Amino acid sequence: MNKLVKNIQETKRKINSLDFDAHWYRRVFHAFGASFLFYYMLPDVDWINVMKFWVPPIAVALAISLEVFRLKGVISSDHFFGLRMYEKNRVGSYLFFGVAALILLWGFPQQIAIPCILCACLADPIMGEVRHRFGKKEVYIIGFLVCMLFFMVTWYKADLWIVFLVSIVGASSAVLGEVKKFWWLDDDFMIQIVPAVLLIVFLLSLKQMGVEISFEQVIYPGNMPW
Amino acid sequence: MVKKIMNDEKSLEYLKKESIGDEKIVRTEIIFTPLLVVAPLLVGFFLIYDWYARDFILNELNLSGELMLGVIIIVGNILFDIPFIKSLTKFSREKQ
Repeated sequence: MNKLVKNIQETKRKINSLDFDAHWYRRVFHAFGASFLFYYMLPDVDWINVMKFWVPPIAVALAISLEVFRLKGVISSDHFFGLRMYEKNRVGSYLFFGVAALILLWGFPQQIAIPCILCACLADPIMGEVRHRFGKKEVYIIGFLVCMLFFMVTWYKADLWIVFLVSIVGASSAVLGEVKKFWWLDDDFMIQIVPAVLLIVFLLSLKQMGVEISFEQVIYPGNMPW
Repeated sequence: MVKKIMNDEKSLEYLKKESIGDEKIVRTEIIFTPLLVVAPLLVGFFLIYDWYARDFILNELNLSGELMLGVIIIVGNILFDIPFIKSLTKFSREKQ
């Protein structure tokens, strides 16, 4: 028994002595956002649909209240690891990320929401790393190609020319959303919402010209295991 | 002014903890880390499994999109998980 308690204490001490690199922690936090796509895999069952409707806004509301408490000084910023200096007196970018993901999951078809979320989760940190190691020009090129891949994968069922056009519009607007910086509006929001809105406008224009666009599911709801 | 704030190198630095050594501070990074690393990988593998079970074996639906998304999520996450875990061990060793 004593040995067990000693082992637990030793493990606890080791865990508490862990020191994190904020840079890579922030990158992993971004990439984690890809797991939001699990939303589309949930089975199409009444009670799960109710949860699908309520859990994301509740989570965002919780994050909003945390940010309000942090900015008012009720909760110390020390609890929020990996914040940047400019976020000290501003809403944290994780909240912008969550709000944009919520808007996409709720209000946009899968074929638009999925690549836009992936752009924020994976293309954004990749572009960050490229900027860190190379230069701005490389950011545009690599960011564009990575975002284009996400749009091509989600639109693979459409006609080739539509895949091509959607990928170009989506990828270029995602890169624009990431590169254009505002203090009051985070790029984690812009990289998701700018391509989504532009794509909707683009697809509606195509529809006006008589081109039929159908939104097909990419991720299908799973079956209940029982 | 706005541009200056965002382009200022200092503003891009990370906030440092003001209460170092305070044991009451909840280190959320320790609590979140297992979730941040494991959850996306599970989702990625689940997407691939769904493709395998319902498309490859049963031929019920065309789930190639799920397969590709699964691979993208797994590869994308591993790309950041490895340097993150490496930095974790490096930083902790330096501290000791």
